[in-house]
Amino acid sequence: MLGGMVRTLLAVLVLLASTWTPARAEAPKVETTLVGETVSVRPGEPFWIALHQRIAPGWHTYWRNPGDSGEAVTLTWSLPPGFVADDIAWPLPERLPVGPVMSFGFTGEVILPIRITPPAGLEPGGRVDLRAQASWLVCADICIPEEALVALSLPALAGAPGADPRWAGRIAATRAALPRPSPWPASFSATPDVVTLAMVAPGLARDRIVEAFFFPYAWGPIDHAGAQELEVSPAGLTLRMRRGPLPDAVTRPIEGVLVVTERLESGPSRQALVLRAMPTTSRAGVAWPAFASALGLALLGGLVLNLMPCVLPVLSVKVLALMAHADATPAVRRRHGAAYAAGVLLAFGVVGGALVGLRAGGEQIGWGFHLQSPTFVTLLAYVLFAMALGLSGVVVIGSGLTALGSGLAAQTGYRGSFLAGVLATVVATPCTAPFMATALGYAVTQPAPVALAVFGALGLGLALPYVLLTLVPGWMRFVPRPGRWMQRLEQLLAFPLYATVAWLVWVLSQQTGVVGLGACLGGLVLIALAAWLHEATRHATGIGRAVARTITALSVVAAIALPQLAPAAAPRPMAAESEGERFTPARLAALRAQGVPVFVNVTAAWCITCLVNERVVLRSPAVTEGFARKGVVHLTADWTNRDPEISRMLAAFDRSGVPLYLLYPRSERRAATLLPQLLTERIVLDSLDRL
Amino acid sequence: MIDRRHLLIGAAAFTGVAIVAPRSAAASSAKVGAPAPPFTLASASGPGVTLGDLRGKLVVLEWTNHDCPYVRKHYDTQNMQALQKEATGQGIVWLTIISSAPGTQGHVTAAQANELSKTRNAVPTAVLFDPTGVVGKAYGATNTPHMYVITKDGLLVYAGAIDDKPTTRKNDVQGAQNYVRAALAAVASGQPVKEPVTRAYGCTIKYA
Repeated sequence: MLGGMVRTLLAVLVLLASTWTPARAEAPKVETTLVGETVSVRPGEPFWIALHQRIAPGWHTYWRNPGDSGEAVTLTWSLPPGFVADDIAWPLPERLPVGPVMSFGFTGEVILPIRITPPAGLEPGGRVDLRAQASWLVCADICIPEEALVALSLPALAGAPGADPRWAGRIAATRAALPRPSPWPASFSATPDVVTLAMVAPGLARDRIVEAFFFPYAWGPIDHAGAQELEVSPAGLTLRMRRGPLPDAVTRPIEGVLVVTERLESGPSRQALVLRAMPTTSRAGVAWPAFASALGLALLGGLVLNLMPCVLPVLSVKVLALMAHADATPAVRRRHGAAYAAGVLLAFGVVGGALVGLRAGGEQIGWGFHLQSPTFVTLLAYVLFAMALGLSGVVVIGSGLTALGSGLAAQTGYRGSFLAGVLATVVATPCTAPFMATALGYAVTQPAPVALAVFGALGLGLALPYVLLTLVPGWMRFVPRPGRWMQRLEQLLAFPLYATVAWLVWVLSQQTGVVGLGACLGGLVLIALAAWLHEATRHATGIGRAVARTITALSVVAAIALPQLAPAAAPRPMAAESEGERFTPARLAALRAQGVPVFVNVTAAWCITCLVNERVVLRSPAVTEGFARKGVVHLTADWTNRDPEISRMLAAFDRSGVPLYLLYPRSERRAATLLPQLLTERIVLDSLDRL
Repeated sequence: MIDRRHLLIGAAAFTGVAIVAPRSAAASSAKVGAPAPPFTLASASGPGVTLGDLRGKLVVLEWTNHDCPYVRKHYDTQNMQALQKEATGQGIVWLTIISSAPGTQGHVTAAQANELSKTRNAVPTAVLFDPTGVVGKAYGATNTPHMYVITKDGLLVYAGAIDDKPTTRKNDVQGAQNYVRAALAAVASGQPVKEPVTRAYGCTIKYA
């Protein structure tokens, strides 16, 4: 009662006083100083200082996103010429609920680290005066804006700077605890009331995670004061949050810090991860723009896939077969087209489903992942080899021109068209066409239906040219009449297939070493034997035929079994015959810390686009010279076999497959330049010039 | 057409107690584009004000706390008063609402409120008291100042800051983009409000 009266009296006094005096007449609530981690400045070498605030008990200052009210500290610098001050590296804030309103801020003492980069041409001997006008809001139940001029003076010395005994430890500890970029990709979905954040983080122990809280960087998408419900699954964790007041905030990526508290044997451990969650579709259909553009890109990517060296022969064979059916009725043609499209779509569904399923199970995999399996590479080589033999005329299945090619693509009837679609997809998987990467990178972070829709669009793109040819018979008029030339073309088309086989064998040699290589080459001989026997004994009868068929079957079985008998996984050498040294995140970080520009080439031996780029562009004299001139260090990240560190690197750039080319500038603060997937010398040289 | 609800609201107005018609259970705060939560509040000049009675008029709500440095920025520079004058001159109803609980910063009596209006040359249509904070919470008001615009049909079309300079610096009033003025102009010309929701900035409302 008395307290209430005193408060009322005080309120009246404040009211009276405030009509003619500024609100801030008393001692400041926050004592603010500028302190340094080091005791001197070395020319050109970045160093850390910090704004140190001692806040009066019961009062608080604010984080970069102050929450529902309040204002973060701002600094207006006056620095000596050539000096650059980064933004404050914000440590993790506290949650400060006031009634229905949530603030994010600091109480007690807070250290706000700031990185300063001095010019390289700084003359040793003088003093460096760093000054700033700091202004902030400090609140208890009432708020007071405060400001101060802060300064720090350090000598410029040529030698290595020593640590400041009072502050080095505390600033370094604060820096060590700063939120770090999340190694796991994140996405979110939104309904009118709820935003659900999902982080793909396999292997988190469900019973060990005590708590998680997401601090968004910006006001708008999330209700700061709402409860956040955590759910941990084998695939990662999800956080259900009340949606914030800004309606269109959920159409853009949501950035912020996710704090996960984990119970370790040594006690609770807190991880602060910087996330950039991409929007996904939901029942409310919020992220339609992203979804639509991913579908469009996937369709385009599928179309371009038809021109890739691994797909072109298969498609050509189908087109030749279509021409051979020039007398077929439009309905028959259309059914062939539909069967082919069904084969493509089904195969894409299976590949996409497997990819999504395995990722949900926590596997760090991406597009073309099955080519990381030596068994699959071997089988693919056999199939393509058999097809090539068919085109060369060693073996004929069926008869006449309808039997263009061999193996799956030559099966007559609709089943043949269907299988050709499956085959086209299988041989397409090692290729990444332009436009595809963005779509696939989006797909793998989405819920299964969305991801499968993107894969479907990709398949549709791949199937479309052939389907259109079957739908519009008029177009066939522009194709020359069938004749002898078709046989010649057919034989010619065998060679891209032989080349693809050679490439697959080479990939295999990278994966399994000499023994696996030998087994596969032996297998190819057996496949050739089987093909020849099959053809040679086509019209044989009786016991001869039975013997021939048995040997044929045994040869195929032996070819398949042979690589399995070879000892598994010999040490794997580098994939791409790369120029650069091996990529590790630590190496990249070290080079960047030294201010060295870095080119990162994420590649795999089974990625044709990668190899073409490497041979044609990256190893060209002009580009080699350009790298040398700019002092760029070339790191190669080999994804031929699975490597979780590289998968994370890809995920960080929203990619799920190779190639990925990154050019990191000298300054650690500036982001990497993402180069396109089809490189030209001009593109690389231009980006080097912009360094 | 006087039904039970109107009687209830009338009674509430008489006793100076706020009544907010219950909204759908899920919605914790007013949504822009939806009907503004109805209320009846006691005013500094005497009679209570019922939002429902103001149909046919554009309404501006201004949550305030005269001691908040952010509110002072806009009153000391005459920025808020100029906007009030401009709006009321066009027949717009301007309601200044105080949700500070008794004993907290910004809570005033009717006499003090009238005195503040006089000394500061403030010209709102009325200053309303929401000491229980029920109306403030229904609108999701978090800051002082926190601004809302309600159309003649009772739809909420703007919620958020007064302008785009979230500071206490008086110099920042010059050159700031005033969201409320923009919203009122848009409504007057039949256009949709370009930025219907912005981040309100200021002091936390001192709710009970």
